[in-house]
Amino acid sequence: MTDLTFLALATVTVASAILALEARDLVYGAAALGITFLGMAGLFFLLDASYVGAFQIAVYIGAVVVLILFTVMLVGPQLGEPPLELKRLSLLTALLVSLLLGTAGSLTSAAAFPGPDNCGLGCDLTRLSITLINQYGVPLEFLSLVLAAAVIGALTLAKADRKE
Amino acid sequence: MPDPISQIIQLVTSTYFLEIVVFPGLISIAILGALFTWFERKLTARVQLRIGPLYSSPVGGILQGFADIIKLLFKELIIPEGADRFFFIMSPVTALIIGAALLGLIPFAPGIQIANVEVGLPAFLAIVTLSPTLVLLAGWSANSKFPFIGGLRALFQQTAYEIPLWLSALGVVMITGTLSLTAIVQYQQNNGWLIIPQALGAILFIVTSTAEMERLPFDLPEAESEIMMGWQAEYPGPLFMLVQGPAFIKLYAFAALFSTLYLGGYLGPAIIPPIVWFFGKTIVIIVAIMLFRSTFPRVRLDQLLHQGWTTLLTLSIVNIVIAYFVVVGVPVI
Repeated sequence: MTDLTFLALATVTVASAILALEARDLVYGAAALGITFLGMAGLFFLLDASYVGAFQIAVYIGAVVVLILFTVMLVGPQLGEPPLELKRLSLLTALLVSLLLGTAGSLTSAAAFPGPDNCGLGCDLTRLSITLINQYGVPLEFLSLVLAAAVIGALTLAKADRKE
Repeated sequence: MPDPISQIIQLVTSTYFLEIVVFPGLISIAILGALFTWFERKLTARVQLRIGPLYSSPVGGILQGFADIIKLLFKELIIPEGADRFFFIMSPVTALIIGAALLGLIPFAPGIQIANVEVGLPAFLAIVTLSPTLVLLAGWSANSKFPFIGGLRALFQQTAYEIPLWLSALGVVMITGTLSLTAIVQYQQNNGWLIIPQALGAILFIVTSTAEMERLPFDLPEAESEIMMGWQAEYPGPLFMLVQGPAFIKLYAFAALFSTLYLGGYLGPAIIPPIVWFFGKTIVIIVAIMLFRSTFPRVRLDQLLHQGWTTLLTLSIVNIVIAYFVVVGVPVI
């Protein structure tokens, strides 16, 4: 049952991620990105990390997708294929990112993620907060940079149109 | 191997199925929705010295909601020519699913809760954040001026109330030390209703959730007198019913959440069963929100944004400080 749920969620996540990149209409792309984030949240729930899952929905869909949709709608839909140059660039970026992630993954020891620290029923929220601030303080701050990246992305979208 | 018919009977009579389909799930929502539509119209009419619905039944037009449902269902489904069909149809349908998901998280009585999630409160608020996105998509897909303005207004409005809404609920989490709605109710069993230490938080919560529900005085996305129902303007009969459904479910779910967070949920003297206590409290909150609608004028968008980012945000931080002193205790100088 869990495997089936995982497969379904993974399929939805990957398919909508591809759709988000390839959709001609930016609004469809942004909506597909939202579905990707929902799938990610579902995967978090499946991993018993429901706290992360809830905030994944709140932050990524509630803030990031809304920001992108907002920009797309204010600057109007952009139709057509992106130029080939951009595609090569994105391929290069994808390669670099996966290399980076792979290196980071292989370098990280299993001890970096101690135990199933899940917040089950009757969990101690105080302990979770202390762990989040003390042990995972730096990763948390880095994660918050994603929001900054989203703001910059939205601004770029808005600015690129103004030049034309 | 059991035969399929007995399997189906077993499924249909299981508690889980009954909870989802009958109570507190879909059928009860539909009936309550129709009744509360009538009640709201009657109440607003009484406040404004009118009569309100009268003819749909012998008793004060109580069947008006059901009559409206039947009327809307049998209207022709016309989709505007330039509309984006996919989002135009999917937005109200998804909004209905989201509304139903909200009710699944509420503990109605001991044991009557569809999903006892350990992060019930943030899950509720996170699911709610999806709805302005759907409003925007619906407004955009209609490919018409007023719906699009309504959709953009929904998004602006979200930036004004979303942060105060989360922060006002944070006070409850700080005091109870849990995110689970069931555990929040259990805390209040031992320590009294949270509306006493969190009075400011409760007021902020009800104001921001009224904005979240897009109800007067914060109904900017669908302001009838300015932009003719805003994002709902182009919806034909049956889809219009689907649009109105989530609006009621959100009112019901937020009133239920308010009574869970601040009024002790299903708790009360044992003479009356818990479920009656729960509904009594919820109905009081629903009536209060309906009275807002019939008494307050609509705010302007810039006023809402300004108040959201100054007054509401400041007060919600003050509320967090109050919660801190409730948890830690006031220092004696």
